[in-house]
Amino acid sequence: MIHHLVRRLGLGVVTLLLISFLVYGLIRSIPGTPLTVVVSQTDPSRRLNPADLERMKAAYGLDKPWYQAYFIWLTNVAQGDLGRSISRKAPVTELISKRVGPTLALSTGSLLLTWLLSIPLGIYAAARSGRGDERAVSLVLYMLYSVPTFVAALALQVTFSLWAEGTPWELPLFGMTSGGPHAGTAAWLADVGRHAILPLICQTYVSLAWYTRFINTNLQEVLRQDYIRTARAKGAGTIRVMVHHAFRNTLIPLVTLLGLSLPALLGGSVIIEQIFSWPGMGRLFFESLRERDYPTIMGLTLLFSLLTLAGQLLADLLYAWVDPRVSME
Amino acid sequence: MSEPARESIPPPRPRGFWAEAWNRYRRMPLAMAALIFIGFLAAVALFAPAIAGTKPVICKYKGRLYLPCLAYYNRGWEPVVFARDKFRGEYPANLEAKDPESWAIWPLVFQDPYRAVRRDEWPGLPANPARDQGHPSSRNLFGTTQTGVDVFAKMIHGTTVALLVGFVSMGIAATIGITVGALAGYFGGWLDVVFSRITEVVMCIPPLVLILALLAIVEKPTIWKMMAVLGLTGWTGISRLMRAEFLRLKSAEFVTAARSVGAGPGRIIIRHVLPNALAPVMVPITFGIAAAILTESGLSFLGFGQPPPSASWGSLLNDARSNLKMWWLVAFPGAAIFLTVLAFNLVGEGLQQATDPRLREARK
Repeated sequence: MIHHLVRRLGLGVVTLLLISFLVYGLIRSIPGTPLTVVVSQTDPSRRLNPADLERMKAAYGLDKPWYQAYFIWLTNVAQGDLGRSISRKAPVTELISKRVGPTLALSTGSLLLTWLLSIPLGIYAAARSGRGDERAVSLVLYMLYSVPTFVAALALQVTFSLWAEGTPWELPLFGMTSGGPHAGTAAWLADVGRHAILPLICQTYVSLAWYTRFINTNLQEVLRQDYIRTARAKGAGTIRVMVHHAFRNTLIPLVTLLGLSLPALLGGSVIIEQIFSWPGMGRLFFESLRERDYPTIMGLTLLFSLLTLAGQLLADLLYAWVDPRVSME
Repeated sequence: MSEPARESIPPPRPRGFWAEAWNRYRRMPLAMAALIFIGFLAAVALFAPAIAGTKPVICKYKGRLYLPCLAYYNRGWEPVVFARDKFRGEYPANLEAKDPESWAIWPLVFQDPYRAVRRDEWPGLPANPARDQGHPSSRNLFGTTQTGVDVFAKMIHGTTVALLVGFVSMGIAATIGITVGALAGYFGGWLDVVFSRITEVVMCIPPLVLILALLAIVEKPTIWKMMAVLGLTGWTGISRLMRAEFLRLKSAEFVTAARSVGAGPGRIIIRHVLPNALAPVMVPITFGIAAAILTESGLSFLGFGQPPPSASWGSLLNDARSNLKMWWLVAFPGAAIFLTVLAFNLVGEGLQQATDPRLREARK
């Protein structure tokens, strides 16, 4: 067990080093630097003269070849310093910690909603398997699964801007708050909540469809087992068989999924946050890519890759923990 | 997947794996409907210039026959004579004026996917409405964009883009994935360690960084470069599955038998193991086509696709973001992307059910 963990951690560190090295090389070879991209976008007359540009390049370490700059970055990271954003003039850790909250609000809300809805739906679908109503529900969920998020988000925005404006159903389409001072925390929370409805729907429907299907398939496999027949034979009712006997045994793959959803929890969705102007991690990532803000891109990439690897490890550990038949050796 | 041989009454010949899979696939109505829909899309993609365009499909001009519609496939294929005679893309009036003897067969819908049709370009046809005035009408079936380009024509030509992206990029990804997975699984050892590490690294890099960086490095992202980039980033799942299949099959008896009669590793991999490992990877390849179409339209939607004028479905959605009242810029391309992705997902699902022996057993 310990041996396995050490091996996994060692491999994980190697993978992280490789990823960060590759990504650093890749982003440095994208045309444009943080200095030129931002300045030329704002105002051509404010373009830096060459001497100033050279001085600033030196100040940010952009005058060195990328592999040298990478090792400087790596030594700083090893000492716990992710560096300062070039385009936003703030430490990367500060930028990230500001954006984590909004993303977490969306992703935990969506995860909770998914679980609350998909478990009963999955059980229902498995219990009524093959009947007309189950087929209809499953087909709708399957179709939802194929709707691209950006299409759904745009369709919602169009629908609400065309038909809900001026009605009680009107919902804000962009941003996290309406701006301006709020009368206390409750008013602020209510405002954020109203802004979160549409992004939350978009972030939930795909995973809802997927989880329901997943639970349904697993349940159907369990329902073919002998002990289910035994439970039915001794007179247990449908609900008791489904929840008490069958569903508990599908928890194993479900718990594994929880581990794998870790990166999405903090990473956020670039597309949803971009469409709804939600100030989260995904949007920060998108903006920093556009601004060629190397320190922020690297900090976020490191975080995302770390979470992906940690999620995989967590899934394996959880799997071994909930299922005693699986050993980590 | 050819038609299964007609069963003759005395001795029923054993059918091959794919014939049997096709037989099972045929009995799934949804999967069949999806396959037919993809066939329809392929026909639309292939004949796009004959369905919507402003260049004649075929015309007789100064005594010779030309196919100006080929220009929609490739700019360079436009017959030189029309450029020399200063047609400037406007065929109807010029053909009439410069050669009264000429005749032409026109596309079904006289609208261009890349520019707005001007007034009287086609006798009696008014100019396309621009800005937010282009509601769907009998002249512009799916409405027009801010600049007055016909949405229907754009979507017809966008079908070509979508399917090309799906098939070409997945072709590249499948080639890489199958090669890497087969070599890693069959030879094992350090080759496996290296290939598995590369696969893991590619899987862990945020896809947006990888795709955007690669697209930016090649600069001007034409549709072909986009396909190459999607192919180069989308092979990891296939490679992992292929490796697992090879690990399972390389110790099978038929492989040992082949080796004992002196077959080399190349022959064993290609002739013996690969055909048996191909069925399970067909499923992720089909899902991958859907994913590639989705990614391309998503990138175009975010503004990272082919620079305008482009006919990608995603670029229409991008146009809609500047004015949400233009619902037709969301409804039609959105439905097209959804239906295409759904169709490929259904085909993948059907393939899975038709080829997976485990599922076959379970249904008995």
